[in-house]
Amino acid sequence: MGEMMKSIESRSEELEQRSHDLGCRMLQMCIKAGKGHVSSSLSCLEMFVALYHGRILRVDPANPKWEDRDRLILSKGQASPALYTTLADFGFFPMDWLETFTQENGKFAVHLQHDVPGVEITAGSLGQGYGTAAGIALAAKMNRKLFMVYAILGDGECYEGSIWETAMFASHNRLNNLVTIIDRNYLCVTDFTEDLVALEPLDEKWRAFGFNVIRINGHSIQEFLRALPPLRNRNSTKPTVIIADTVKGHGIPSMCFDPLWHGRAPQGSDADKFTNEIQKRGCYE
Amino acid sequence: MNNVTQRDALFSRLYEIARSDRNVVIVAADMGAPALDQFRIDMPQQFVNVGIAEQNAILIGSGLALEGKRVYVYAISPFITLRCLENIRVSCLFQGIRLTILGMGTGLSYCTDGPTHHLLEDVAVMRAFPGMRVVNLSDNQMAAAYVDISAHNERDVLYIRIDKDFYPDVHKPGTDFSRGFVRLRQGNDLMIAATGPMVHTALHVADVLATEGISVSVMDVFEFPFDPVAFISDISEVRKIITLEEHFLPGGMGSAICETLNDKERYLPVRRVGLSMTQGYKPSYQYGGREVTRRHYGIDQEAIYRTVRDYLKN
Repeated sequence: MGEMMKSIESRSEELEQRSHDLGCRMLQMCIKAGKGHVSSSLSCLEMFVALYHGRILRVDPANPKWEDRDRLILSKGQASPALYTTLADFGFFPMDWLETFTQENGKFAVHLQHDVPGVEITAGSLGQGYGTAAGIALAAKMNRKLFMVYAILGDGECYEGSIWETAMFASHNRLNNLVTIIDRNYLCVTDFTEDLVALEPLDEKWRAFGFNVIRINGHSIQEFLRALPPLRNRNSTKPTVIIADTVKGHGIPSMCFDPLWHGRAPQGSDADKFTNEIQKRGCYE
Repeated sequence: MNNVTQRDALFSRLYEIARSDRNVVIVAADMGAPALDQFRIDMPQQFVNVGIAEQNAILIGSGLALEGKRVYVYAISPFITLRCLENIRVSCLFQGIRLTILGMGTGLSYCTDGPTHHLLEDVAVMRAFPGMRVVNLSDNQMAAAYVDISAHNERDVLYIRIDKDFYPDVHKPGTDFSRGFVRLRQGNDLMIAATGPMVHTALHVADVLATEGISVSVMDVFEFPFDPVAFISDISEVRKIITLEEHFLPGGMGSAICETLNDKERYLPVRRVGLSMTQGYKPSYQYGGREVTRRHYGIDQEAIYRTVRDYLKN
């Protein structure tokens, strides 16, 4: 067990470094395009790196439509820059495709597109991808397939009523092949969630809806690597939600805790300042 | 007169198809039907009830469809359409998901249930989406036939409008519904293009006018978009059209016909008859039965007869 822990720790260190590198790459992509939800992407980058590079997801970049692949449903479609950068780094498509972010003849818009290799759905209208994810999880049960479905939600997305329609459905139908991860960054477009319409106690809400609730530090790869693997064993009939506490704009101190940066890519002197800040956190390239 | 509704005719055929294809799944939003009871008993693994949660019905359906299921989402029509428009758009149409929406109780079907249950705008709204096929059933032959059509659909969202009342069949078994319209009766003086329950009204009015020596053609226009080229070619002898629908006029069936005539540069006089908008939704607050509510909206049988007569004189 000690060896195992050590191994997770050392892997986590490598993967956190990798997250930083990808954060730098993603920031450059968004600065170049002048578009992209940078802060919402930085809050869930470690989540994606843990899922892909931490070998949680069973996916094959050479065969994105492999029938038995795990499905990752990014319901908070505005975090597409984080997913696109991770998918490129994981080999789903060449890294230089990212140069075409929001460009003519490119593959990517600001929000998520289903026709990008490795992406399952089009998202951008909040509250919808989660229901699709539950439908996929139900189909897996009907078809006796063993793959897992990972749904990534934003915390602000939990204001959408359809999230709770799906949550009720998922627990009633014992969708223990559905893992819900909430990027709990506490910040929406205009305000902090607890000042806007309070979401807390969020874990109690999900527990009341019939979920196993795990709350972790969403910037700790280590905590993801400890929390996620046991869920594949389906020791409980309940679906699980992981509430990942994060910081919107993580890695760029000047961007954090400021609603202003929702949905924006920095330009001019801000771009230089933010690039400098994120690089100081240990990015090399 | 049929002793089963369009809904039961549809579910009976769907039962047969589902027995030999376990990928057929019904997603219901707390809705039953006599013909559905046997389905639920015999194929519980192919019946999913999401409760009174129409948006979730569409979303769960989209996920099932992505995994290869042939999904039929079944709910009360205003709720599964207008309430779920954006779910249908984003989670189905954007991604080319094949799925069939069964909307129960369209138009004034739920007459005395009041305005929340009336659906008077959906043809306009639903046919605005690319990849959407809107089907307005007029009889049980068509209801069963569209189950077979949906079973071969690989890329579109079909939205099937199901009327609650009992009607006689106007189409023969084996009718070809592929063009989106069928001419039911030939005539020289005027063509009535009707949709849904109004097809029966049109036939009745044509019968009455026939006793007066007036020869009226009747066409059932049931799918939107219909085949425009076939439509223009089919009406080569027609000189005047009245369109008839239990729906508000903007964007409805009459509009669809005018668009086609205009785009194909076939300029014919057209009079559109549908629900009057002058009183807003007030007529939906008039009770006593469907014909009463229709009268307040200006499209009861008598009013339609008078409109057709007047139009013939012009």
